[in-house]
Amino acid sequence: MTYVITSSCVDIKDMSCIEECPVDCIYEGERKLYIHPKECIDCGACEPVCPVDAIYPDRTLPADKLDDKEDNRVFFYLPLPGRDEPLSSPGGSMKTGPLEADTERTAALPPNPDAD
Amino acid sequence: MVDVDVDVLVVGAGPSGLYGAYYAGFRGLTTAILDALPEPGGQVTALYPEKMIFDIAGFPAVRGKDLVQNLVAQVAPFHPHYLLGEQAVAYAQTEGGVVITTASGKTVAAKAVIVTGGIGTFNPRPLPGGAEWEGRGLEYIVPTYLPYAGKDVVIVGGGDSAVDWALGLEGVAESVTLLHRRDEFRAHAHSVKLLKDSSVEVVTSVQPVSINGEKRLESITVRHVKTKETRDLPCQAIVAALGFTADISPLEAWGLDVHERHILVDTTMATNLPRVFAAGDITDYPGKVRLISVGFGEAATAVNNAATVIDPQATIFPGHSTEGAPA
Repeated sequence: MTYVITSSCVDIKDMSCIEECPVDCIYEGERKLYIHPKECIDCGACEPVCPVDAIYPDRTLPADKLDDKEDNRVFFYLPLPGRDEPLSSPGGSMKTGPLEADTERTAALPPNPDAD
Repeated sequence: MVDVDVDVLVVGAGPSGLYGAYYAGFRGLTTAILDALPEPGGQVTALYPEKMIFDIAGFPAVRGKDLVQNLVAQVAPFHPHYLLGEQAVAYAQTEGGVVITTASGKTVAAKAVIVTGGIGTFNPRPLPGGAEWEGRGLEYIVPTYLPYAGKDVVIVGGGDSAVDWALGLEGVAESVTLLHRRDEFRAHAHSVKLLKDSSVEVVTSVQPVSINGEKRLESITVRHVKTKETRDLPCQAIVAALGFTADISPLEAWGLDVHERHILVDTTMATNLPRVFAAGDITDYPGKVRLISVGFGEAATAVNNAATVIDPQATIFPGHSTEGAPA
């Protein structure tokens, strides 16, 4: 069980969730943020602080956002564009800093009209 | 000489730890409860004190902080020794027991230890670039307001701690400025209203870029998140209230068998270290379910098995609590 950041975060990256996460399992990609599915402890602290309501528990993810769950997994367990190795489980986003890359799916999404 | 000498030391004052301490008391064992946070309740107190919990047996609904209060009351008749604001950093075996040392240098001797550390020990989230200013004007918590008298104070953050500290320091400090990366605050609506009516200068949509000064800090440079304009705010104290992160590495340093942030235990809740048991969210074994209700059961299993390690003549089964009210 884990929380998932959906595509509503794309081009917004408010980052409030990162401040709330007690286990530092939310990582900064180039266009959106991603929750590590294994490092997340399911505490729910991130969900209410997201200004664009992008965060859901994976078990109540709306049907049209199911792909976002897989996208969060792919971010960590397949090599990101330009890298040879997957991130796997870095054990905290403070250790990695911003990752300046996205999954192929997220990178290809159209610009978010809600972003300024 | 040790500072505290007990039969059972419980490391972690969350629900599982408090319940474990109750069981140790029920078995006539003297108990100490240690936690890095200043208050008991662990994650429930730190993350969701106001949330309703619906899966505690016998309680159709109970507010987080009320559950903690009840657990504290349940163990109170046994007079546990609370060691709050302490981090257990070292483990050593002795003749017939162990000695645990805390980060502040206190020593606790116990015949058995129950680790109910949840997700680990809570630490303030560091301000990027702040490390070299710690102790030179940068703080992460505000236990008392007096040291800030007459100072220009800058607080960074948008949650309850940031807003509460800003309001508390108003009138004590020379000036209070609150910096937040966004326009909106996550703190309680009531506190935010008090903030708007206060003399606290609120600067939003900015991020700290650097702290400047010679021996002690003299100013903080901030950048507007949209316009990218920078400005310097003179100050003699900075408080970074950026939330907490949990860290399990102090327990790894004991030599515990830790796998993906969890401690491996057997069916008696024993860990790989002699006289050290674990219970609650921190344990792992095939089929583990991370819920408070499971933690309660594991705490009882851990303490009652520890009782037989402390006294080989003791039985695992504690007897029924209905046979006598606590002394």
